[in-house]
Amino acid sequence: MSLAMRAGLGLARQAMLLAGIAIAVFLLIRIVPGDVVDSMALEGSLDEEAIAQLRADLGLDAGTLTQFGIWAGRVLQGDFGNSLRFDMPVADLILAAVPTTIGLATLALAFGMALGIGLATAAVLWPRSVLPALVEALNLWSIALPTFCLGLGSILLFSVGLGWLPVIEQWLSPVAILGLDIAGQVAKPLHEDLKEAATAAHIRTARAKGLSPARIVLRHLLPNALTTVVALGGLILAGMIGGALTMEVLFGLPGLGTLAFQAVSGRDYPVIQAVVLVFAAGVVLVNWLADLAQRALDPRLRR
Amino acid sequence: MTDVPLNLLRRHLLLGGAALALPTAAIAQSAPRAGTLKVAFLGLDTADPHRHTGSIAVQQVFVETLTSIADDGTVKPFLASSWEISPDGKRYTFTIREGVRFHNGRLLTAEDVRANAVRVRDQVRGGWLSTPMKLVEALEAPDARTFVMTMKEPYGPLLNLLSELWIVAPESEGWAQTIRQPIGTGPFRFGRWQPNVSFHAPAFAQYWQPGLPRAEAVEFSLRDDSDLSLALRAGDLHIARVGYDKLASVRADPALEVQFMKDTTWWFWSFNNRNPRAPFNDIRVRQAVAYMLDKPAFMRFVAGDAGVVTNQMAAPGQFFWDKAMHDADAHATPNEDRARALLREAGVNPASTPCRIVSWQSPYTEIAGQAMRKLGFQVEHLALDDIGAQRRLGQYDWDLAPFASGPRADIFLRFVRMMSDGPNPGLWGGTRDAEFDRLVDGAVAAVDLDERRRLYLAAWQRAMDKYYTVVIGHAPEPIVNRREVSGYSPGFTWGQHRVDGGLAFAALGARG
Repeated sequence: MSLAMRAGLGLARQAMLLAGIAIAVFLLIRIVPGDVVDSMALEGSLDEEAIAQLRADLGLDAGTLTQFGIWAGRVLQGDFGNSLRFDMPVADLILAAVPTTIGLATLALAFGMALGIGLATAAVLWPRSVLPALVEALNLWSIALPTFCLGLGSILLFSVGLGWLPVIEQWLSPVAILGLDIAGQVAKPLHEDLKEAATAAHIRTARAKGLSPARIVLRHLLPNALTTVVALGGLILAGMIGGALTMEVLFGLPGLGTLAFQAVSGRDYPVIQAVVLVFAAGVVLVNWLADLAQRALDPRLRR
Repeated sequence: MTDVPLNLLRRHLLLGGAALALPTAAIAQSAPRAGTLKVAFLGLDTADPHRHTGSIAVQQVFVETLTSIADDGTVKPFLASSWEISPDGKRYTFTIREGVRFHNGRLLTAEDVRANAVRVRDQVRGGWLSTPMKLVEALEAPDARTFVMTMKEPYGPLLNLLSELWIVAPESEGWAQTIRQPIGTGPFRFGRWQPNVSFHAPAFAQYWQPGLPRAEAVEFSLRDDSDLSLALRAGDLHIARVGYDKLASVRADPALEVQFMKDTTWWFWSFNNRNPRAPFNDIRVRQAVAYMLDKPAFMRFVAGDAGVVTNQMAAPGQFFWDKAMHDADAHATPNEDRARALLREAGVNPASTPCRIVSWQSPYTEIAGQAMRKLGFQVEHLALDDIGAQRRLGQYDWDLAPFASGPRADIFLRFVRMMSDGPNPGLWGGTRDAEFDRLVDGAVAAVDLDERRRLYLAAWQRAMDKYYTVVIGHAPEPIVNRREVSGYSPGFTWGQHRVDGGLAFAALGARG
């Protein structure tokens, strides 16, 4: 099967996955008790007649299937509808939030990947130094310390205690925390891959030819380990949704995570559905691209 | 406990006739405005002031009202410089203040006020003004400075509720449907709004009160559920609401100052009154539950030294609070033996009796569960988020609901929630009692204040006798500001701009 055909089939699978996610989210959010009209009524200024009329106005009194049909029809035409809470286009809210999330994800990924790859490479170059232990420690850090705990600790230490950083809308702490988390996830498996590859026959030949260790790692080891990095990158990006959400909420960053969190709190169905769909589309796209990249990089996967 | 005035409403009719001497004379000569105040209160859900159903804390800085709830809870003139009420209590004639400009530079007229009242009456569903608007017979603007509101029957809370009839220029974008860019008369203009994130309001240079506002702009943080005490301590915020649980850490910080709102939040346990299940439909069982309440311990737990115990929805010291009724509170202290005796008398075996409790996810709600478990009931406690609890309360398939409710512009806004057709009645168990309604309706229609008080107290006595709800106590909400803020003090309600204080009076810099 050609690469183009594989890509097409992969895309079709991902589209079906997206449709499944859209249906699941639509149904799941309606299981949670209460809706946006309950939210509006919390302050107590809506009587039962007004509540019923508002539900009718917002289309919340229709059956779930009817609501889904209307929503899906609009989404297929590129219209995510209006926020029930703010009465403004969902697309505007998402467009305002996307740059923050992409910025946070890009910076954290760049920092994490650079640190993880650099550390793993250096640990192979200097196996008798402290670096291999650092790789282990970073991996343990990443597994054992939840990012929200580190976020809170960072606020207490650097913002409240030392007064170096603001609490609200600062990027340094979330980028560093997410980046360290990513580095920990990348460094360990990459280090293992590089160590294993270092025992291969062509590496022994390279050493016998007198190539420098740095040249061996950069020219012969790292390119072979790239598939691991690409595969991990796809998984990490998907996992970053959760991490970015907590960091955005904790540091008051106005991204998609904050938008989703607030929308769930306020039962703003169109916003929740659209944000989840955007997140899902992002993950699907990244996974699909990672899959294609792996096939392009590794001839064995094309057989 | 805050020092709430004894005579909450007695003065407002007397005051109304006199032009207001606004407390700005000293400010007029003060330094030029400077700095951006960074504050966090409750949110902003809509740019259309007439359609808001939530907090008034944010929108009140860019739109104003005919009347204002002053620090002492009285009603004072605001965009109206004075008013007169006809002897039968039906006709309200307001004189519109001269020299008030909208943010587009145009002068405010009585016709603008009339247009806003008409819009609220005809287009807005819900809101505290929905009931009085149904009683409006005529809205007139006979000349540029006079606005007349004629009611079908006397409506006592009207002046207080007009403190939430926001005056917006009819040329504001979206007036016919939903206002997108409100043009108000407030000290700050409607600037950049990012829902759930922030709202930036720059100062209005032509504001009608000389010398105000004192800051160049206000930046509201609209982020929900973040720990505002940390942002205050770090200096990211200048003024913010803070929970009682954070007061100790805030008080320990010398850079911060704690103040309290003038009206109170009150805590209560309600029974399911709309569809009560046995044995909680037996008044002896309700009494037994009330005897398990340790009110002093409860109030210490929720509000520390700021709390006060009572049995009424008005706080001690307020005009509609009654000392004799307070002194006669049978549940001022707990009596477990009496509680068990009452259950035996009612023939209830709590060990085989389920008790479903619905509440928010607040620690104080656990006290209800503990008290009922101590009595021996099989407790099922559904602690839900705000919206989930709201929905569940409306199902009336529960037995006990421990809740709290915040400050209001008028005592009627507390009583109305217990009326048969009242808004959001779930917190009070969905009471439907024609006699209670009759007493409250009578209080609302009473022109004489003493008669109004008598009827409200009679209604409350009935609610207590029937054990619809058991009030535990009151405490004012803490508001914290950094010490570099001068001129700020919290008001009676959540509103952050009022005739005698608020954000327009606040400035950054050394205190004079």
